[in-house]
Amino acid sequence: MDARERRVIAAEGAAEWWVRLQDPKVSTSEREQFVDWLRESPVHVAEMLRVAQVHEALTDFRGWSKLPVSAEPRAPEISDDTVIALRSPTQPEAPRTTKTALLGWRVSLVAAAAIVAVVFSTTLFRQWRSWQTIETERGERREVSLGDGSVLQVGPETRLRVRFTDRQRNVYLDRGATLFRVAKNPRRPFVVETNHTLVRAVGTAFGVEQRGQEVVVTVAEGKVAVQDEETVAPAPSRATASRASPEIADLPRASGTPAESLILTAGQQVAVPGTGRMGAVRKVDSERELAWASGRLVFEHTSIDEVVQTFNRYNRLQLTVVDRVLGHREISGVFDASDPESFLAFLTSVTPVRVIRLNAGTVELMGADNTPESMTTDVAR
Amino acid sequence: MSSAETQRRLASWFRQWRSPLRKYLTGHGGLQGADLEDVAQEVFLRLLRYERAELVEHPQAYLYKMAANVAAEWAIRARSRLPHEAKWLTHLTTESRPDQDAERVEVQEQVGLALSGLSERQREIVRLHFAEGLGYAEIALRTGSTQRAVKRQLIRSYAKLRVTLDSELVGVLQHGRP
Repeated sequence: MDARERRVIAAEGAAEWWVRLQDPKVSTSEREQFVDWLRESPVHVAEMLRVAQVHEALTDFRGWSKLPVSAEPRAPEISDDTVIALRSPTQPEAPRTTKTALLGWRVSLVAAAAIVAVVFSTTLFRQWRSWQTIETERGERREVSLGDGSVLQVGPETRLRVRFTDRQRNVYLDRGATLFRVAKNPRRPFVVETNHTLVRAVGTAFGVEQRGQEVVVTVAEGKVAVQDEETVAPAPSRATASRASPEIADLPRASGTPAESLILTAGQQVAVPGTGRMGAVRKVDSERELAWASGRLVFEHTSIDEVVQTFNRYNRLQLTVVDRVLGHREISGVFDASDPESFLAFLTSVTPVRVIRLNAGTVELMGADNTPESMTTDVAR
Repeated sequence: MSSAETQRRLASWFRQWRSPLRKYLTGHGGLQGADLEDVAQEVFLRLLRYERAELVEHPQAYLYKMAANVAAEWAIRARSRLPHEAKWLTHLTTESRPDQDAERVEVQEQVGLALSGLSERQREIVRLHFAEGLGYAEIALRTGSTQRAVKRQLIRSYAKLRVTLDSELVGVLQHGRP
């Protein structure tokens, strides 16, 4: 289904809900259906806000008497949407939308038939282009809701490809980092694949980050199976992690590689290098480790060079450290990813640094004199 | 709850939601590239964090209050950022200011134009509902139709207007001003 069709269906759905909910006798089950519909996609939320705008515009309209008696209807136009709500042609959830729509539309068989026709034609379209691509640029973060109810928090400079079938939900992380909040469905495992690592989940929340050649998997909730496609034999250092539990071990493999899985549970993290064996399972504060997904950056004894690089990925404002000594200095702190100014303010408060603003989009940092090698703060905002 | 009360409550939710959103969009500090879609994204995520049972009680109230909160928070956060392009929504103000009167006339014209894009029947139903304040049953009586058919036409009218108002008003307000 392309953006335009999704919009049209969402706009009609929102208009329908608007009219239905104006009825003072609206039932609990109708309100439940409405909540479920809203929580299906941000596009639905946006369209609900837009219907309110239309209602508002009509309420304020004063020129009723000047309206023409008859006029040519216009062809509708839809603006591009920025939200990619994905739906698979074969997944069971897709018809559910149609069913919800049909419930409301049941009075008008013609309208129902029209919707079925739209869904059907987009199904063909989706089969032809079975992978959906989600791509973010430098400075861009995006939340994407998938048709199965899963929500992805996509970091900057990330590229993902998504394909859902009725047996499996597949995501390829080509680059970057994403936090996956997977809707539970034991019969349809959610598999994230990067260049050399497979992560399988049933219903859980976990982050996958590509850091250079290394892939870092962090689990916030539930458990996932991590599999290194290149390493068949497990590394002995994985003693802290339990072996594959039956429920996950029995899941269908994403590829034919008969590799053994490493099970990660909430609060655990593993780094899988590009070559060689998986690293040891680390116990981590997953909230802290996955803070990037919600726009917070957490640094612990991180070099200013690295901090600046991270900020640059999240923002249009680009910082450059022109002083090697300053660049190697380490800092700790928690920052809002979209607010490099607060980082600059923090930096100038803890070390003598010259902030040179070359233009609106470029800032150079230079040490003003010699200071201790490391400085620490708990929170800087 | 009576129909009139429902209407009154809906109206109050919009005001709550619209005002901070407008402030956010028009203020000199709107986030670049941020607009209703971004607000919707954030509201969507907040909706996911709530218990379903809690939302079901007053879903619309939650929706518009969350939108109001998000817009208000962002307006505060964005005060030092780059200016944002105003959208047509921002000019649908109830409180009249002299410098906005010309724009308001323009918006009125655009809404009129959009309404003329509806079918005759749809336009009549919308007029009875908004200009004369009739409910679905009364409109059905007046037009010799059923309540269901009236609702159906209203739904189609909303959907059509949402599309035409969106593309046309944005164009007029962004390019038609000095």
